[in-house]
Amino acid sequence: MPEFATLASPYSMPAALHGDTDLTDPQEQTQARALNQFLAGVELKAFKIAQAALRHEDDALDAVQDAMLQLARAYAARPAEEWKPLFYRILENRIRDMQRRRTVRGRIMAWLPLRGGDDDDEEFDPLALAASNDPQPVRRLELDEAMEALEQALQRLPRRQQQAFLLRTLEGLDVAQTATAMGCSEGSVKTHYFRAVQALRAQLGELHT
Amino acid sequence: MSGETVSPFERNARTVLEQSVQRIDARTRSRLNQARHKALEAMSPQRPRWRSLTLMPAAGALAAAVLVAFVLWGRGPHGASPPAALDAQHAEDMELLTDNDSIDLMEGWDGSFYEWATSQSEGNVESNT
Repeated sequence: MPEFATLASPYSMPAALHGDTDLTDPQEQTQARALNQFLAGVELKAFKIAQAALRHEDDALDAVQDAMLQLARAYAARPAEEWKPLFYRILENRIRDMQRRRTVRGRIMAWLPLRGGDDDDEEFDPLALAASNDPQPVRRLELDEAMEALEQALQRLPRRQQQAFLLRTLEGLDVAQTATAMGCSEGSVKTHYFRAVQALRAQLGELHT
Repeated sequence: MSGETVSPFERNARTVLEQSVQRIDARTRSRLNQARHKALEAMSPQRPRWRSLTLMPAAGALAAAVLVAFVLWGRGPHGASPPAALDAQHAEDMELLTDNDSIDLMEGWDGSFYEWATSQSEGNVESNT
């Protein structure tokens, strides 16, 4: 994807990759570069998956960042083929923790008086307004509609079905990798995925793009 | 999902989802980029210090081995202790040094008297015989 090339310019490389930390070990340098490439390849999809589960942009970003940190700290030495299912397993655990915390917080907040304007103090960020990869207007409108319909339908799915569908369809994991990421059997993955497709098709038809 | 039969619905859903990923705004991309760099920096935060800590037991073991070797070498070949005669000699030397009477005798030393006394006693022996 061309946008990654612009993001990973030499000026934005982390210290581990450009010499402030330790460039004496070529094996570790290669490993850092491979991990950087891997994370750059999954971060946007991971964010989308976390956002679908948490329905909150900042929480989704936090979850992805935590998953990246844990993968880098604990599993960087593992073979690169294992990174993807491991990363999504970590992300899934993080999402689950956040959902639990949110449930507890929701119960506590229900007892407290309402206070509005939680998002009012958010700073204006001009970058948020910058469009990226904007397709032609008519095509964009069609895609917008299809996207919105799909995202709403995904929100209505049970969590495990949503997860199986996104990992298989968006991230392209196979059944075994999805089972590792979800911490369940391959049979369960097939069942969740099949039910997700059935439910989405029932709501959206054939989803014309 | 490669190598598996994909229905038109699944194909379309993938297209839509990939498009939605492509359209993630620049602010979110930037934050993800920063998160990735933080993760990579955390990969080995203080590697040199960590390495020196892991080398400390090895360095300690080496120092201990050198010390043991030095002590064993100092005790002589094959680890034998010094002979008993040498120990006795040392004890005798110490006794002489700490003996006050011997020192008094040495202070009043008159060599000519002792030589005369010796010659007299030798003369008496000869005359008796």
